[in-house]
Amino acid sequence: MFEGIEELRKKLDSGKLKVKDLAQQAVDASKKVNSKCNAFVTIIDKPKIKENKKSILSGIPYSAKDLFSTKGILTTGSSNALKDYIPFFDATVISRLKKSGAVLTSKSACDEFGLGGTGTTCHTGIVRNPYDENREAGGSSAGSAVAVASGVVPFALGTDTGDSVRKPASFCGIVGYKPTYGLIPRYGVLPFASSLDHVGVFTRSVKDAAIVVDSIKGPDSKDMTALPKTDDLTPLLDGNVEGKRLFYIKEICDIRSYDNPSDELKKSIKLFNEIIEKAKKLGMQVIPESIDQKLLNAIQPTYQVISCAEATSNLSMYTGIIYGPRGNGSNINEMVKDYRAHGFSSLIKRRLVIGSYVLQKENQERYYLNACRVRQMIIDKFNELFTQYDGFITLASGGGAPLFDGKTEVLSNEAVLENHLAIGNFGGFPSITIPAGFINNLPIGINITGKVQDDVNVLNIAYALEKDIKFKGGLHE
Amino acid sequence: MSKYEVVIGLEIHAAVLSNTKVFSPSKNSYSDVPNENINEIDLSFPGIMPSLNKEAVRKALKMSMVLGCVQPDELMFDRKNYYYPDLPKGFQITQVTKPVGINGKVELYVDNHDFTVNIHDIHLEEDTASMDHYDYYTLIDYNRAGTPLVEIVTEPCIHSGEEAVAFLEFLANSLRYCNVSDADMKKGHLRCDVNINLKNENGEFITPRVEIKNVGSISYVLDAVNYEVARQIKAYETGIEELVQETRRFDEATKTTIRMRTKEDAVDYKYFVEPNIPRIKIDKSWLKEIRKEIPSLPNERLKRYIKEYSLSESEAKTLVKDFELSNYYEECIKIGINPKVAFNWLSTNIIGYLNKEFMTIRDFYITPNYLKFIVDKINSGEISSKQGKELFNYCLEEKEEPSILMKKHNLKQMDNSNELEGIIDNILKNNLKLIEDYHNGKTNLFGFFIGEVMKQTKGKANPVIAKQILTDKLK
Amino acid sequence: MFSKEEIINYADKLLIGLTDEEANMLLDEFDIIDKNIDQINEIEGLSEVEPAFMPFNLYTATLREDKVEESVDVDVALSNTKDKLGREIRVPKVVD
Repeated sequence: MFEGIEELRKKLDSGKLKVKDLAQQAVDASKKVNSKCNAFVTIIDKPKIKENKKSILSGIPYSAKDLFSTKGILTTGSSNALKDYIPFFDATVISRLKKSGAVLTSKSACDEFGLGGTGTTCHTGIVRNPYDENREAGGSSAGSAVAVASGVVPFALGTDTGDSVRKPASFCGIVGYKPTYGLIPRYGVLPFASSLDHVGVFTRSVKDAAIVVDSIKGPDSKDMTALPKTDDLTPLLDGNVEGKRLFYIKEICDIRSYDNPSDELKKSIKLFNEIIEKAKKLGMQVIPESIDQKLLNAIQPTYQVISCAEATSNLSMYTGIIYGPRGNGSNINEMVKDYRAHGFSSLIKRRLVIGSYVLQKENQERYYLNACRVRQMIIDKFNELFTQYDGFITLASGGGAPLFDGKTEVLSNEAVLENHLAIGNFGGFPSITIPAGFINNLPIGINITGKVQDDVNVLNIAYALEKDIKFKGGLHE
Repeated sequence: MSKYEVVIGLEIHAAVLSNTKVFSPSKNSYSDVPNENINEIDLSFPGIMPSLNKEAVRKALKMSMVLGCVQPDELMFDRKNYYYPDLPKGFQITQVTKPVGINGKVELYVDNHDFTVNIHDIHLEEDTASMDHYDYYTLIDYNRAGTPLVEIVTEPCIHSGEEAVAFLEFLANSLRYCNVSDADMKKGHLRCDVNINLKNENGEFITPRVEIKNVGSISYVLDAVNYEVARQIKAYETGIEELVQETRRFDEATKTTIRMRTKEDAVDYKYFVEPNIPRIKIDKSWLKEIRKEIPSLPNERLKRYIKEYSLSESEAKTLVKDFELSNYYEECIKIGINPKVAFNWLSTNIIGYLNKEFMTIRDFYITPNYLKFIVDKINSGEISSKQGKELFNYCLEEKEEPSILMKKHNLKQMDNSNELEGIIDNILKNNLKLIEDYHNGKTNLFGFFIGEVMKQTKGKANPVIAKQILTDKLK
Repeated sequence: MFSKEEIINYADKLLIGLTDEEANMLLDEFDIIDKNIDQINEIEGLSEVEPAFMPFNLYTATLREDKVEESVDVDVALSNTKDKLGREIRVPKVVD
């Protein structure tokens, strides 16, 4: 199905479509897509249906990344460490969606515990891009992006620690929205790096993203970082962007900043410039700004240090004592070590060692605390820019989805362009990726980021641009 | 010993009284039934997040004030990362960056001298699960996991076992005075680690710091300090044992300390700020409100009882260690009973009665006001001390006001001189031989005559008047 | 600049076993991390900045009231546990 939520709502309300049939469609489509893209850990054959006539989401099927705790339903974090774990409680967002009558039809695969950006480290195997099965779907929320792009469900839940919603959205040609930090509670979501982790949503339109977020946002007594109640976003979407001011970063989106740009990058930046022209036609001002290259270069290492440090602590709970398969060993330490050695993939283990290293007493100042200082400097710089601008516009990736190259993910110096979305996580800024067009027959997205708690502005800019971009999200076969 | 200065620092954990755990809404209470008070947070299921208990914060802040600490304008929490099977998250949430209190100071008095204990900090944290060890396996019970603790860390400023004990007693009493903790060491509500080393006459450290873990009672703290000081001196002077920075435990049977691990095995806890707990603003008016709830404290009371009420140190301690008893005593003094008299009533009559009846002073029938009535009647001579005691007992038996019982049992001294004179004349007339003996130097017979007066008046004779008459007659 | 022994020791403290291949990969990554960190430490004025531990100055509006919520039944709570005895979780004997 490629209808949006509102269309499906109309069909369900008019009786043209039955909730049960819609759910079955989603289940059938999940199976079909899974055989091609390996997007799901669990497909729920007989999804529970409990309608709520007051909610727009009643009867609408959806998929949730396998990091969301689902009562009575396998929740693995796409890791062997939790391959048999069945929670007895729901994540707050899952219980909110349950109340609104939305129908969970699958749990989607992701990079193990959300660490990684390729969708290749899931314990169920690599997730493939629906546009080209030889390519990544992006990560970590790979399966959720595939589910929405393939028309399995109109929306899916993801999590975003560095760009894990917004990057796969770009590679799969759909909308990926990560609201302000704290807008959506994280209780019950398997953690990666708590100060960077956000819940986000995948949809095929900006309005659908607003609709879903409206039904899962709001304070939660179980999450102290959740923000107080805010106005609903959907009613405030009017597409009126006359006079709005956007900036882009010359060092990232100006072709002149690159010494030897690849053909793909040239095309990407050309597409970006076309979008900027569209923005201007809509009455927005788009102005280039310059940011110290050193600060931009520091984004990736800062992200690495902070995310690995928090992950090493967050993943300490996985010992196999209370849940998960038991390890073998004659004493308790051997037992836990065996569990972790077999439960965690190579990538995770390496991340944890790095995280532990940067937190060690003798290294903490130079590694961890300095990374936290750079984080603050980047936040300050963007907050300063946000005093003059309504939003920051940028390419969501330097090109289309990469090929599986056989290499495992190793920490390396990648181009700033591939990592700069982490700015949104550093500052908790609302940030949305929308489809921008195609490069070499692969979808690519642009991203709008705004100041904290100014989600409405960010969504409105995306909403206005979306109307003017011909490519609509989703792979229509 | 005077060649060396003993340097002691204490780290004390106290279990905080509250309805719920510190980061989860499950019940904070001891249970014999394992895993009865648990939820997903206490067991650290994937995705759980802490939600901080306001009452635990309030009590921790109260203790911060009791210890004379500075309270910050905002609180922060940190993670202490280590692996142990009783720690389900793999880290403990505690406070390092901005704890509930820093830089405190407590003035204490022991063995006729004043001394000061400086407090490094007090912080709020969570307890671990409890483990039962069997021959081939260990069982884990999570009832205690996540229950609130306050940890109090002193500066290394304590100079003897006696001072350490005095501080611990003060702390335990204060925790009870403020209803922060039951502070019973035997039940594990209070756990104490003792750090000890020695300085020479020039103030230089001559032995490495030794930490003695989890000493099980206040008196064991004294034993542990004494043993460890002697051990360190001996090792230093003779070199028969190499001294290293280490962790030891106190063996209760032999009253010695035994090595657990040396510094090389020390864990790096990799502390960092807990990202799931935002900063907590501490409202000035909230602090004011909390401060108002703090009663006058045991150290202040102890000193006042000794200096102003002339009680001995041990007498004063008897009262101070029991908050309710001490409050009763304070009330007695406030309404005008002589402090020494009030203490005597408590120590000779009341405490014994309470112990015998397994009762606390809270349920004791004779209020300070009733006691004052009795004491006043004795002082004015309306009743004798003996009658006072009788009246006291009638009150306890009949649960009736002393003014009513005094009338009911006709407790009144006979102070009519004529009547007494008649009785005394009669006694003397029947004991002429003894009068002779008395005049021949057996002056202790005076007591016999008074006794006779009391016997014949059934103890109602006013002894002052009776003595006066008898003295005159025997001239 | 990092030795394989060090790396294996770090992993050991985290109760993680590394294969030889993993240890070698980590060695390479450590060098990259170290270079990357130089990019952090090159930035001027770092020492004057307060480290950010959260995205923005987040304050808790209200703390939890001290009201008991019902416990999770032990059978439910331990339904994923592989080894238990009675109401408790069983593990190999823990010796300090």
